[in-house]
Amino acid sequence: MLPSYKIRLTYISLLLFGFATVNCKKWVSISPPETSISNANVYDNDNTAIAVQTGIYSNMMSPNSLTGGGIIDMSFYPALSADELTLWPGNNNQLYSAYYTNLLTNQNTSYADFWNAIYPMIYVTNSAIEGLNASTNLTPAIKQQLLGEAEFMRSFCYFYLVNLYGDVPLVLTSNYLINATVARTPQAQVWQQIINDLKSAQSLLSPQYLDGTLLNSSAGRLRPTKWAAIALLARAYLYTGQWSNAISEADSIINNNSLFSLDTLNGVFLASSTEAIWQLQPVVLGWNTPDAQIFIIPTTGVSTQWPVYLSTNLLNSFEPGDLRRSDWVDSIAIGANTYFYPYKYKINAYNASVTEYEMVLRLGEQYLIRAEAEAEMNDLSDAAIDVNTIRTRAQLPNLLNDIASSQSSLLAAIQHERQVELFTEWGNRWLDLKRTNTINAVMGSPGNAYQNKANGYWNPDWQLYPISLSQLQHDNYLVQNPGY
Amino acid sequence: MASLGPPFGELATKTLRVMKLTALIVLIGCLQVSARGYGQLVTLRVRHAPLEAVLAEIQKQTGYNFVYAKIELESAHPVDLDVHNADIQQVLVQCFKGQPLAYTIEEQYIVVKKRPVEPSVQKSVSDSSKPRTIDVEGKVSDEKGEALAGASVSVKNGKEGTLTNEKGVFVLKKIPPDAVLEISFTGYKLTEVHVAGAKELLAVKLPLANNQLDQAQVIAYGTTTQRLSTGDVTTINAADIEKQSVNNPLLALEGRVPGLFITQSTGLPGSGITVQIQGQNSIANGNDPFYVIDGVPYTSQLLPGLSNILGTSGATGGYSGNISGSPLSYINPSDILSISVLKDADATAIYGSRAANGAIIITTKKGKAGKTKIDFNLQQGLGQVAHKLALLNTSQYLQMRHEAFSNDGASPSLSNGDYDLLFWDTTRNTDWQKVLIGGIADYTNLSGTVSGGNANTQFLLGGTFHRETTVFPGNFQDQRGSFHFNINNVSDNQKFRVQFSANYMADDNHLPTTDLTSAALLLPPDAPPLYNKDGTLNWAPDSSGATTWPYAPNPVNPISYIYSTYTNKTSNLVSDAVFSYLILPELEIKTNFGYTNLQTNETVVNPQSSTAPQNRSFTPSFGVYGNNNSNSWIIEPQVTFKRMISKGKLEFLLGSTVEQNNSRGEQFTGIGFSSDVLISDPSAAAETVPLITTVSTYKYNALFGRLGYNWEDKYLINFTARKDGSSRFGSQNQFHDFESAGVGWIFSSEDFFRKHFPVLSFGKIRASYGTTGNDQIGDYQFLSSYSTTYAQVAYQGTTGLQPTSLANPYLQWEETKKLEFGLDLGILKDRVLVNATYFQNQSSDELLGYILPITTGFNSITNNFPATVKNFGWELSLHSVNIKGKLFSWTTAINLTIPQNSLIAFPNLTTSSYANSLIIGQPINIIRAFHFLAVNDTTGIYQFADSKGNPTYNPSYQTDLIKVININPKVYGGFQNTFQYKGVILDMLFQFVKQIAPNYTVGAYPGPGIEGENQPVSILNRWQESGDNKPVEKFSQNFSLGSAISYYNNSDASYSDASYIRLKNLSLAWQIPNEWVKKIHVETLRVYAQGQNLITVTHYTGLDPESKSFSSLPPLRVITFGLQIGL
Repeated sequence: MLPSYKIRLTYISLLLFGFATVNCKKWVSISPPETSISNANVYDNDNTAIAVQTGIYSNMMSPNSLTGGGIIDMSFYPALSADELTLWPGNNNQLYSAYYTNLLTNQNTSYADFWNAIYPMIYVTNSAIEGLNASTNLTPAIKQQLLGEAEFMRSFCYFYLVNLYGDVPLVLTSNYLINATVARTPQAQVWQQIINDLKSAQSLLSPQYLDGTLLNSSAGRLRPTKWAAIALLARAYLYTGQWSNAISEADSIINNNSLFSLDTLNGVFLASSTEAIWQLQPVVLGWNTPDAQIFIIPTTGVSTQWPVYLSTNLLNSFEPGDLRRSDWVDSIAIGANTYFYPYKYKINAYNASVTEYEMVLRLGEQYLIRAEAEAEMNDLSDAAIDVNTIRTRAQLPNLLNDIASSQSSLLAAIQHERQVELFTEWGNRWLDLKRTNTINAVMGSPGNAYQNKANGYWNPDWQLYPISLSQLQHDNYLVQNPGY
Repeated sequence: MASLGPPFGELATKTLRVMKLTALIVLIGCLQVSARGYGQLVTLRVRHAPLEAVLAEIQKQTGYNFVYAKIELESAHPVDLDVHNADIQQVLVQCFKGQPLAYTIEEQYIVVKKRPVEPSVQKSVSDSSKPRTIDVEGKVSDEKGEALAGASVSVKNGKEGTLTNEKGVFVLKKIPPDAVLEISFTGYKLTEVHVAGAKELLAVKLPLANNQLDQAQVIAYGTTTQRLSTGDVTTINAADIEKQSVNNPLLALEGRVPGLFITQSTGLPGSGITVQIQGQNSIANGNDPFYVIDGVPYTSQLLPGLSNILGTSGATGGYSGNISGSPLSYINPSDILSISVLKDADATAIYGSRAANGAIIITTKKGKAGKTKIDFNLQQGLGQVAHKLALLNTSQYLQMRHEAFSNDGASPSLSNGDYDLLFWDTTRNTDWQKVLIGGIADYTNLSGTVSGGNANTQFLLGGTFHRETTVFPGNFQDQRGSFHFNINNVSDNQKFRVQFSANYMADDNHLPTTDLTSAALLLPPDAPPLYNKDGTLNWAPDSSGATTWPYAPNPVNPISYIYSTYTNKTSNLVSDAVFSYLILPELEIKTNFGYTNLQTNETVVNPQSSTAPQNRSFTPSFGVYGNNNSNSWIIEPQVTFKRMISKGKLEFLLGSTVEQNNSRGEQFTGIGFSSDVLISDPSAAAETVPLITTVSTYKYNALFGRLGYNWEDKYLINFTARKDGSSRFGSQNQFHDFESAGVGWIFSSEDFFRKHFPVLSFGKIRASYGTTGNDQIGDYQFLSSYSTTYAQVAYQGTTGLQPTSLANPYLQWEETKKLEFGLDLGILKDRVLVNATYFQNQSSDELLGYILPITTGFNSITNNFPATVKNFGWELSLHSVNIKGKLFSWTTAINLTIPQNSLIAFPNLTTSSYANSLIIGQPINIIRAFHFLAVNDTTGIYQFADSKGNPTYNPSYQTDLIKVININPKVYGGFQNTFQYKGVILDMLFQFVKQIAPNYTVGAYPGPGIEGENQPVSILNRWQESGDNKPVEKFSQNFSLGSAISYYNNSDASYSDASYIRLKNLSLAWQIPNEWVKKIHVETLRVYAQGQNLITVTHYTGLDPESKSFSSLPPLRVITFGLQIGL
């Protein structure tokens, strides 16, 4: 080896050695990966801030069936729990079976656990509210709309939580140190938060439907607006017995003729529905709504994959001539049996163009909210008018006078109207039975729907769903609902 | 002819060559040499041959090594010999008769030196000038004459000592002329040389260590031996790996290493493998050891893929999704020279933050100087499921179903889907285990290597083709081709060295998307045939055209998975280059450059043909495609300094690491293909939709050092320290220090023990204490990151974002404190070696996914676990040469581990998320279970004890989990025997584990009687009528007893003994005698038969007590035959 080469080699080695021995703090600091954005910068930019909120709506529609686990499952599992759906005896899905027979335990809610599905959404809204409030770089109009959407979504989540579970922990921060040891908050306080959030959202949200940039108006009613906040607020007032407030909120929607009008029965669930207050857009390629996929039974009949159909109890509730019975219900005959299924959403074919959107809030319900509140305030004539508006669309005659003239029979008629109008939509029936205290009578008395479900036994405790065991174990301050 | 090392001068070399040549000619002319194995008998006929040549021949025949100074032999007379099968002693007496030389036999070597001169003569010659001390110069080489640099040479019972330089040369000044030199070098036998007044040149050849104690063990940044190690290291060599027909080197370690517990997830090629060293430190993720291949860190987990059929390799830290398979299955076992398992602090602390769970160092084969060797190894065999469960046959199944209906007061009906009773042919009886998992898997392994080189450059080139099929029906297989390359070069002055090695494997694994094991256990025995008569899939449609196959959740003919396949193509490169330069004899600098690249391309296809007819209009054919790439590079400059200080050898190492890992994964789906044929080509899809993209970078930086001092091979002390920085932590906590100390005392070297306990040939006690850490968490956990929401159609045309994790700015390093004591004993000249080790690892601030209630928005946060977990126990091993004869030898090796795990502290446990799952003083992975009482003899339903001991049907998960079940292995180990008779070697390894595990006695959920689920025969022992006392509850055909069986499965009754003893490996090999194979112009020829998982003795009621799964294929029994040819 030549001496000069040898020296060079020594230098190179020393250099390499020296280069790498520097313990460099800079070296181990990394920037976030290109595929993700961190809390630090997500609310610094209009697009990413909007994307967080859009992500909530997108995720609500993401599981490609109604039974995939998420808040949208509200149209499925509570309908199984109530008297709307029948489960095929050959069904082998124990989760369906548990909801259907009301034999939920703290173990078997499995992936259809609303508690587990909703709290992560609340985390997003809480961190959005914190991030948006702290942000200084956003376009003011966008910031305002996003704050409104976040508050609306938070109240939307708590609405279902408080209805399904009773007292629930009221989590209003993103700080996990606080949220990990929360106890249940009394229902009244949760309702108050829902109402406060909705009032605030109502003032923040745009009265116009907006597109994905929040800068332009949009034909699709795919983001919550002022009207969505009002509609949910009307519902919240109804559920909490604040009748006059419920009326005034419903009024402002029903009176907004330029935006909202009752659609034809076959038009209600279309993307172009004039009745829609808030809808969600399907996000699975080639498919319309998940409702159509899970409810419409194909020609091969009921099976482990399509194991639910409408209960005879619900079918028998339709008055003769009710157009909803023919437009919103369809059937399939297999051998000697005919199976009836919800047909509000009609397109279950793959690769059909998307013409139906998932309806979350609609005008029809607002009429029924106002009717009920009016009836409760003994304004029977106005109540009857509102009910008859809905009946007329279904080509049913107006309520008989002897029904319309008595508060109790009118209230019963309104509940009946809700049953046939809002079936398999967002758990309305299950929630109505509970809030009107009719659930024990309907589910528990002999000869009723429940008899067809399991062993003919009903425990009033079952009107609240159980909290899963793991949650009780991970938060020692949580207490289970009675009966589980 | 290799008895002499190269001499120092040109002239000497020439002289020697001439001499050698002459000797050779003489020998060829008059020698009658009979080739034979090593023995102590000599057959030799020479006339007037040089002594050196004769000694060389004796060395060849006997295996004894001659140690002498070249110069001394010059005075020797030629030798005449004629012996046949003569004892070596007798031959030596003849050789040295009348010579001016004397010899002494010391174990495997014979020292030849000048016969001491008569004192009277000496006196007359140089009375006045007789030196009181002399300077001795010598050269140390290995058996092949290659210089050994850095060997320590010291004067026995004196103070002087030195190290050899790069040429193997040492100089010792002013030592007594009658001194005895002790020469030691890692991996070679400790050798003593009598100076006997020779000043000039001693050529010492060190024999390779052939005993357990002195074999080289690769450790972190160096090598050691069991004799001199202060740490807890077990090394498994190529010989043991090659005996086993395995597709993953980790499987070759099973049952062989104390303190190491390995679990194979499935019997499919590429299976996930869980590796635990000295117990489970962390309650959640981060229990993987640190893997290093040829100096390059290697991943312990793969990136998320498209399928989980291969099973996990332990808990996957920080990543979600399907992480299945083992990254080590992309390393070819036959390329491996040795695997070292590093356990205690002394061995692992120099790896600092990454070795809390121990380290596994894999070293691949290197070329050796000498004639170019070509070696082929051809292996062919088969694999099968070794054990089937006893399931109901059709008549038992039908009986169960009818009894269930009668118990429920119901009757079967076609409209309720009771096809098994009313629609199918109930005279059919199929053993679905035989049909679905009863096939024979082919096993082929073909490898070839070429190696060779000269004193300066050595190389090795190897290639392997490996193919395994599955036991499933259908054309599934795993094919891999691998390539291994190694080259070493040293400059003429022995100062500059370059090493390069590369290991590359291309793997193509073709599997079904779903493991058929669960279908094999659950399908009713009267289920229809899989195929129609015309060869098409039989969907057994009912009158409306819907399939009647019951397989939940979607009705599917199980064989349709043959069409819905999973393909994983992976290529893996691990390469490493090392450059070193000896600046001074004591000082070497070295830099290690490593690069790894793991590329995976996966495809899952779901063609229409795999979909039930009624679903086809709703289920478009689709394919999912994934690409993962993970590459890393590392630079590790190091300085080593070795020097004798007084009588001790000091070794100092200082180094630094800079490392970066980059991972990128993309998945997308293609929907709508005009034909099923096109489905594996995403460009043929009508639409492609991106699913997820993961990108991450990991950077790592460290400074490390080690200081070792070895006083006369008697007192050993070793310190290591490391400062680590990792990008996985927030800016406040990026750096952390780890250190350890290890001490050893070889008390058998003390005169006291030598005198009083001569039977004790070796005795060492050692202790070590230190800290290590762990950063096995996902990247960016200190950030709260957002990722795009998964939506095939963008909502309002825009992509959504969602938070993926909670940020934890408080993340800090975890720390495991390891304390260990060991005792090593060698008895009867080290024929029996015993080791006992007590270990105690205490982990605190462990990094894991700390469980949170969902009210926080997430189920967990990557956090430092507030508890302290202790793993402690005993490792015992015994290695014994029972018989060592000329023809027959027998060795036994036993290892045994008694591990224990305990949660020793958890502040505020009762208010934490773990209040209901952990108990102070109990293992961290306990199962809290109900106490099963009995089947109620009146109702026929399972009853359990509530917290007060009263019987209940519905025990509470909050108050009644009163039993604590420890599923950790209580004892595990291996028992190996090797018998050798001439060229035939029989080796058998038994593996044993004492443990409990969930059993399958009462059948599958929701209990016997449900439609479409077969059950084990054990359920026939059921309650039937009032008064029955039976272990299994009554049958039911609906879900009404589902909760009862859930309680049962969470009770102590469902956990039972799953201990087993398994003949893990049996290998029988015959080295065909050389004289036979020479006739066919072959150097060596070996034929062998090997078996893996041959026999399992167990009471366990399940498919396999190792995988303990009822849904994945158990590890297979593999039997192979092979042929190894050396050219």
